[in-house]
Amino acid sequence: MSRQVSRLNRWIVCLAVLALLLGFGPRVGSALAAEKVIKIGTIFPLTGPVATAGQRCQAAVQTAVEIINGKHPDIKVPLAKQEGILKGYKIVLVHADSQGKPDVGKAEAERLLNQEGVWALIGSYNSAVSKPASFVAERMKRIFMCGSSSSAALTQRDMKYFFRLAPTDATESVDFVEVLKWANKKNKANIKTLGVIYENSEFGKHAAEEAKKAAAAGGFKVVTDVPFTPGATNLNSEVQTLKKANPDAVFGAVLGADYSLWVRTMKQANFLPRIVINYCSGYQDPVIAKQLGGDANYFMGSSGYSPQFASLMPEVAAVEKIFKAKTGGVPFDGNSIQEAVAMLVLAQAIEKAGSLDTEKVVNALNANTWDSPLSLGGKVKFAKGGQNILAKSIVTQLQDGQYKRIFPEKMADAKIVFPMKPWDKR
Amino acid sequence: MNPKEANRVLGKDGPWLVFAALLFVMPFVPFVGENSFRMHIMILILLFAAMSQAWNIIGGYCGQVSFGHSVFFGIGAYGAGMAVVAYGVPPWPGILTGMIVAAAVAVIISWPCFKLSGHYFAIATFAIVEIFNRGFLVWDWVGGALGLDYPLVEEGLWNLMWHDSKTGYYYCALVLFLITFGLVRWLEGHRFGYYLRAVREGQETAESLGVNSTAVKLAAMALSAALAALCGAFFVQYNLRVDPPMVMSLDMSMKFVLITVLGGSGTLVGPLLGATVLIPLQEYSRALWGGLGGGVDLIVFGLLIIIIVVKQPAGIIGIIRDIGKHAARRRAAGKEEADHGAP
Amino acid sequence: METLIQVLIDGLLSGMVYALVAAGLCIIWGVMDVINFAHGEYLMVGMYVSYWLGFLAHVDPLVSVLASGAFVFLLGALTYKLIIRYTIRRPGLVALLATFGLAMFLKNLCMNRFSPNFRILSDTWLGGKTFLVGSLILPVPQLAAGILSLVTIGLLYALINGTRFGWAVQATAMDREAAELMGINTERIYVLIFGIGGACVGFAGGIMPSYLAVHPEVGSMFGLIAFVCVAMGGFGSIPGAFLAGLLVGIVEALAGFYIAPVFKYIAVFGLYLAVVFLRPKGIFGW
Repeated sequence: MSRQVSRLNRWIVCLAVLALLLGFGPRVGSALAAEKVIKIGTIFPLTGPVATAGQRCQAAVQTAVEIINGKHPDIKVPLAKQEGILKGYKIVLVHADSQGKPDVGKAEAERLLNQEGVWALIGSYNSAVSKPASFVAERMKRIFMCGSSSSAALTQRDMKYFFRLAPTDATESVDFVEVLKWANKKNKANIKTLGVIYENSEFGKHAAEEAKKAAAAGGFKVVTDVPFTPGATNLNSEVQTLKKANPDAVFGAVLGADYSLWVRTMKQANFLPRIVINYCSGYQDPVIAKQLGGDANYFMGSSGYSPQFASLMPEVAAVEKIFKAKTGGVPFDGNSIQEAVAMLVLAQAIEKAGSLDTEKVVNALNANTWDSPLSLGGKVKFAKGGQNILAKSIVTQLQDGQYKRIFPEKMADAKIVFPMKPWDKR
Repeated sequence: MNPKEANRVLGKDGPWLVFAALLFVMPFVPFVGENSFRMHIMILILLFAAMSQAWNIIGGYCGQVSFGHSVFFGIGAYGAGMAVVAYGVPPWPGILTGMIVAAAVAVIISWPCFKLSGHYFAIATFAIVEIFNRGFLVWDWVGGALGLDYPLVEEGLWNLMWHDSKTGYYYCALVLFLITFGLVRWLEGHRFGYYLRAVREGQETAESLGVNSTAVKLAAMALSAALAALCGAFFVQYNLRVDPPMVMSLDMSMKFVLITVLGGSGTLVGPLLGATVLIPLQEYSRALWGGLGGGVDLIVFGLLIIIIVVKQPAGIIGIIRDIGKHAARRRAAGKEEADHGAP
Repeated sequence: METLIQVLIDGLLSGMVYALVAAGLCIIWGVMDVINFAHGEYLMVGMYVSYWLGFLAHVDPLVSVLASGAFVFLLGALTYKLIIRYTIRRPGLVALLATFGLAMFLKNLCMNRFSPNFRILSDTWLGGKTFLVGSLILPVPQLAAGILSLVTIGLLYALINGTRFGWAVQATAMDREAAELMGINTERIYVLIFGIGGACVGFAGGIMPSYLAVHPEVGSMFGLIAFVCVAMGGFGSIPGAFLAGLLVGIVEALAGFYIAPVFKYIAVFGLYLAVVFLRPKGIFGW
């Protein structure tokens, strides 16, 4: 009897604690409402298969906000020297987790806008999440800044409140084909055939379609097309399929752990195309490149940033220091830095518009060319539909563990190693 | 577990009284302060309660534990999605087609699966989810891995889409909820419902009483699948996007089962109880901790599942029953004491 | 022809690992009739143990296999003590859902503690080495994993079929009450079996960092495949799980190469359906 009672009491206590947590929890944020703050919401995949990238993107936005809110006379980035924007307004971030799922991302976008009362959104890494989440913002006439989602379809929707910083997979594909043509001319490479390997998701599929389009336009023949299931236990048949078709060049859209598995499986199968170029994916992750060691060398990929671009972008170093403190020493990569740019450009636009009127800020965003020391090329300008038309990327090649700039030639700091050195000669 | 016991707890028609009260109150909820997040949670509760109730027909009442319901859910979602995105018409014909196709698919795949017992059946349904998931990912006609994105069309019931307010979605979810719960309530009293429970309690016995157990199971599965497809169609209209991992995944399948079992499977109110507890828990804990990025909300969620399942395998309805029993015993004890106290 | 043999070898080697992961699940299922949904997460935990030993103490995965096995043994025994014990003698679904919660808990706890980063152990003894037979390529790490799998499954089989402990296990699996009347401490058997099931998958997890990146999501697909192997092999049959593991590996490789890579898992799950439709209790089931 008494045991029954105590068990029941325990349950009641548990439920009460839970109710307390749930009931009072979400209201903590609103305590700040009285001060001069601008709330900005972030939506990134903080859990799930691409959580690594999502957490880095979140840290990048936090870094940007730290720079905007504080006084940083030593950092040569717009808004760093002054404290806050609009004469004393501070930016407060409200973070949300999309888990990489479109429905969750959409629900979180609604919650942030309605419940938390954020003024604008930044996100969402996965193209598949950015789509519905930005749709919500558009309907509510709120700005959605998209740093790194690469699907070209995002900016083909004629949205008014949507702005994307990163280059799309369409422009990347065209760049890649240019690299092949350049190699053909310069190195007498005689590249004719192309293979595409990609994870079968919105990101990979879209990249592959753009790759095929660009290849056809450039006169290359796509001889094999290998989609695979992300999170696979092995990539043996994928690599064997590539090996059998034996294309001269391979374009890859392989994320995270799958990238390391892919490279290692190719080594085991003793297969190497003459040139491999990667979309924004595992290749650009400095941690993976380091962990793969020598095996990662001579692969290529496009990148909006890597620590070796320091001579082109001298202002990044000071910012990166703040970022590294948040990520345990991991530097910016091509994706995360775009999220920081998204935050900085938005703040600049607010400052320029001189008010928190969304329409005015949107007009300012559209009308001006923005200084952006964190972007390659140093400028940001949006076209109709929200694409940053000054988005640039450099095709790099990993040589001795360093991302060397290869193409376009006028930005290069190293010669391409072509063809890739065979596995047994490394 | 047993509906009779459940009824004893809440009074004979207790579930119906609660149900009627909810019916009465719910339509007024949208007017009690426009709060989109609360509305979102209410919609999800109704939707997931309806989904789980659909599962409950075959999984709870009939005792066939299917982990394949996300397939039917997905077919319904794709039915509506294809109608709107590929053909540019209102979703209604797609919803209907989705329901019919889901029922047909359910019959076709269940027919051989019903020969399997216990875990073999459960794992076969896992396998079917994975096959459908991968299949839809490479099927270009339905958008493949890119999924289907809704265009912006005029809001209203005709297009089953609302933009600024969630009230329309709320009422739709309520209708969905009423359809499934009404149907199951009707089934409980109908001969078919007794057949279902007879099959659950023992196929051989049921057969010996003249129940064609295969036909009963197939019919229940078809009904359950059609309802799940209806819910799927609503889900896609609500989210305005569909791709295979969103709808046809083991995660989604687990939700059907989890909510029903945690609420109390094989009971009418079980799915509602499960959804009322789990959905707010999931949404609020994500709102509270999700942004921290440590997956704390999911850690807590996982722990809670373990605790509920381990402490009270009959589900939340079991907890309510315990409390009821406890109160009754105390009343009895009190009465006894009073009797002793009397001279 | 050579390609075919190469594909078969690749399939066979990955099948060996599937078999080892499945063997652990199989014995738990066979003795207790519990589907351990957290099995893939056990694998992940085993991989983390091996990774951290390698990273912090420079222990090679070949050695830390033992530590991983021991750690996951304890994890399994603990799972039984804290969770499964309460779900025995209740509908099978209860244990399944409880272990589903456990899977969620473990996966996100590891993400919380170790971050979602992918971790690769470089400079292992076997890492990246291959062994050539004519023009055929045998990857050494996978070969080692295959041998480990053969040895472990062999030992497990011998343990269950050739020792007094194994007889007690079999008796418990057949009829718990009767076994208890015979003086068998079935509670202890259950703890040990859950631990041993964990140890098998721990061994697999221990050796895998020499060729596979470690991250919190790594176990999910392996877990799923293990379910299929166990059910395909037949209720609690270790040779069945072994054979099914090899079959799954080979079918996956063949379908992946000769049909299309995206179809490889469709083929695996299709194979399971085909097998159980023909033999509803699996290959070795009765």
